[in-house]
Amino acid sequence: MFGQGLLKGLGITWKRMLGKKQTVNYPYAKIEMFPRYHGRFLLDVDKCISCGLCANACPNKVIQLEKQKVGTKQYLTKYVMRIEYCLFCGMCVEACNKDALKFSSTIDMNQYRRSWVRLTLVDRPAPKVEEIPAEAPAKPAKAEAPAKAAKAEAAAAKAPDKEG
Amino acid sequence: MGETIFVDLTAWLRGLMGGLGVPDLYNEIILMVVKMTAVILFVALNAIWLVYMERKLCAYIQSRVGPRHHGPLGLLQPIFDVVKLMTKEIILSKNVDLVVFLLAPILIVVPPIVAYGLLPFGKGMVAIDMNIGLFFLVAVTSLSTIIFWMAGWASNNKYSLLGGMRVVAQMVSYELPLVLAMLGVVMITGTMNLSGIVEAQNGIWFIFTQPIAFLVFFIAGIAETNRPPFDLVEGESEIISGPYTEYGGMGFAMFYGLAEFANLLVISSMCVVLFLGGWLAPFGWDFIPSWVWFFLKLYLVIFLFMWVRWTYPRIRVDQLMTFGWKVLVPLTLANIFITGTGIYIYRAIGW
Repeated sequence: MFGQGLLKGLGITWKRMLGKKQTVNYPYAKIEMFPRYHGRFLLDVDKCISCGLCANACPNKVIQLEKQKVGTKQYLTKYVMRIEYCLFCGMCVEACNKDALKFSSTIDMNQYRRSWVRLTLVDRPAPKVEEIPAEAPAKPAKAEAPAKAAKAEAAAAKAPDKEG
Repeated sequence: MGETIFVDLTAWLRGLMGGLGVPDLYNEIILMVVKMTAVILFVALNAIWLVYMERKLCAYIQSRVGPRHHGPLGLLQPIFDVVKLMTKEIILSKNVDLVVFLLAPILIVVPPIVAYGLLPFGKGMVAIDMNIGLFFLVAVTSLSTIIFWMAGWASNNKYSLLGGMRVVAQMVSYELPLVLAMLGVVMITGTMNLSGIVEAQNGIWFIFTQPIAFLVFFIAGIAETNRPPFDLVEGESEIISGPYTEYGGMGFAMFYGLAEFANLLVISSMCVVLFLGGWLAPFGWDFIPSWVWFFLKLYLVIFLFMWVRWTYPRIRVDQLMTFGWKVLVPLTLANIFITGTGIYIYRAIGW
């Protein structure tokens, strides 16, 4: 029959119109991301040994980390990702031997200013050497770490996912 | 009670002014102003609603939900759009033909509103009951061609000019099948009065006696309103936005929102009046007022137009012309021939 294709097309759009909607009410509801989704970075400060493998693996020199020697251990004082240059290839996450650097499923990292885009995962002063007892140099750093990490995390998460 | 509410209102207003001692001539003028204001309001409010309806329907067809942020179910979305467009700057690019450029978006809404003055909304509900109503309607609606061309020419932009040329080519070509499709109806009824045409459909709607004419009228109507699949005028991928390219803010809104949907309303109303029995109630269900029936049928046809719009892709210019001149025009001519023969045969039988 002439015009059969046209009727078929109308039928398809009619079915689509009454069918299930594929979208969610986005800013208020979000879809679940896949477990291996490349989203916002998470750094577990306790696991990080500030080896710098992630910074070396990065093709765009996104990761800038500063460390300080406290006693016999390297102490991570600053971990900044220049996300504006990041291509989310995941090389840094692959390079991490200690599973400290990970992807989260947070997708909205957009900001109003370019300068706000930079992601500061850790920013903390190194503990003073004299505060640390000589026999156990790592202990205070470790004890301090969760509180500091929480603080750093709060600073890093200033805008995106909380504001949503 | 609801049946004659608007007619009664008019009669009451006429009586009130007569009682106040207003001379008959002024009385008629004031009434006409009131009627035309009502028509303009009707068109404007419907255009606002149709913007929302189009977006929502498009979204549903594309498995989305559509606007839902502003107001309940996103109903205030068109209001927000209008406010945003009104606050925007009117940009006049270099070397535009200023008078024509600024006049075009104002004039573009005139033809559909004038056309709406002639359409019968219900029993006895027509602003101007003209005995050549259909003829006048065709004459007025074809005026919008030149206003699109004005916009395209005055913009001093190659895309606008191309769009304007396409408008003229398309609308002039599709005017012919549109009018020829109407001719079948006029031949049966023997009148060009729109109320008369509606009355003539008391027994059977003309969609059943003139199915080919309805189909051709529907297709040519889509082309006349420049909607997909015949939206070559504003083919975004080819010529940015056709004649509207240089317009921004409210000028763009007049073309894109108000004029397009006002034209859609006029074409849909003509569909209803000519083929779907206008304000006549089907199955004798006349407990629902006639103007409600008109409205229901109008929105059914508008839904059809929108459904078609969001189903088919845009066709090429040569396909458009070929389809118009080689398919639709011969089809309508054949329809006229068959209708004429049929009328004589029925007369000979003595129906």
